Amino acid sequence: MEKRHKSTMYALILFFASILVISTSLPVSAHKVIIFAWVEGDTVFTESKFSGGREATDAQVFVFDKEGKQLLDGKTNNKGEFSFKIPKLTDLRIVLSAGMGHKAEWRIPESEIKEAGGILEKKRAGGSSQPIAVGLSKEEIKELIEDSLDRKLRPIVRMMNKSQSKGPSVTEILGGIGYIFGLMGVAIYFKNRGKKREVNRDN
Amino acid sequence: MHISEGVLSAPVLITGAVLAAAGVAVGLKKMDSDKIPQVAVLSSAFFVASLIHVPIGPSSVHLILNGINGLLLGWLCFPSILVALALQAILFQFGGITVLGVNTVNMALPGVICYYLFSRLVNRERRLISLTAAFASGLLSVFFSGILVALSLLFTEQSFISVAKLIVVAHLPIMIIEGIITLFCVAFLHRVKPELLGGIYGEAT
Repeated sequence: MEKRHKSTMYALILFFASILVISTSLPVSAHKVIIFAWVEGDTVFTESKFSGGREATDAQVFVFDKEGKQLLDGKTNNKGEFSFKIPKLTDLRIVLSAGMGHKAEWRIPESEIKEAGGILEKKRAGGSSQPIAVGLSKEEIKELIEDSLDRKLRPIVRMMNKSQSKGPSVTEILGGIGYIFGLMGVAIYFKNRGKKREVNRDN
Repeated sequence: MHISEGVLSAPVLITGAVLAAAGVAVGLKKMDSDKIPQVAVLSSAFFVASLIHVPIGPSSVHLILNGINGLLLGWLCFPSILVALALQAILFQFGGITVLGVNTVNMALPGVICYYLFSRLVNRERRLISLTAAFASGLLSVFFSGILVALSLLFTEQSFISVAKLIVVAHLPIMIIEGIITLFCVAFLHRVKPELLGGIYGEAT
């Protein structure tokens, strides 16, 4: 009996040690796919990834409007990217289907497109190679600021995209294992309570 | 091999949920209180296994460990895998709550099949037979899971054969790795705790 308990204990210790090693040393990654999209001017850019950071290449992308009508579709390139010109001023729902039951979606609200598109239209109307006048109007200043903000924010948008596709953390892993053992305790409690009642009835 | 939320149609989801509920009911009925810790340990092994990513092959694949779950637990692998999948869905966003039933059946049913095919062979004294059976159950459980995933996608993707082929090819490295892991687990248990291999329900020892 003593020996059996000892070996069980060793097995348990081994189990937990291996979990710790796995959760800290291995690049954690798995089975989820993410699509991330943003508007720049009149184009929507998307990036698709599996949650381990591996790009979802050659995957189908579908774009739907507010009513659920499909506007266009296409395939991601070998970096998991796909871009398209905005076909219509509406809420866009971009759906990625990476095969084998992997699916993800991203929504772009109409307002976001309007903001980006509106600036662009104004720029087109005004002509692109204006010499900078001394007295800039309020609109023009706003336009310039938005333009450079777009450019400056691009790396941050990408960074956010990256942090979103990070795998689960050690806390979540250990939390999950804790849940399982908690459930084990609850299960044992109820099973034993049933048994005790039977014993009491027998007496 | 988790199927994401929003891929499957309602009839498939409901069928999966009903089958999973039946399997879990059978498992819970057969679960003695002294088996509960064993179920919990294997459940957490399954829970963590999905984080071990194998960067071989064309797609994103990870360990599953439904072979060893089924081999050691029989029908009890239904509750074990259900709990692990539910936590994976909540904590890691793998799969999802509505597809929980389908995913549970896809992972647990092959385990049960492997239990009936191999648990007697694994219990044999002859090392060669026992270890070959262990390897086969690790390999085949992943294979059957792939077939079941393709079956559940039958109504959404174009052709069963091409999807099944895609999944099986993507999981070839996993099948071999799972076979080896199951083999080592069984070899270890033979030495340390052979009574675990004698069938979970305590009828055969």
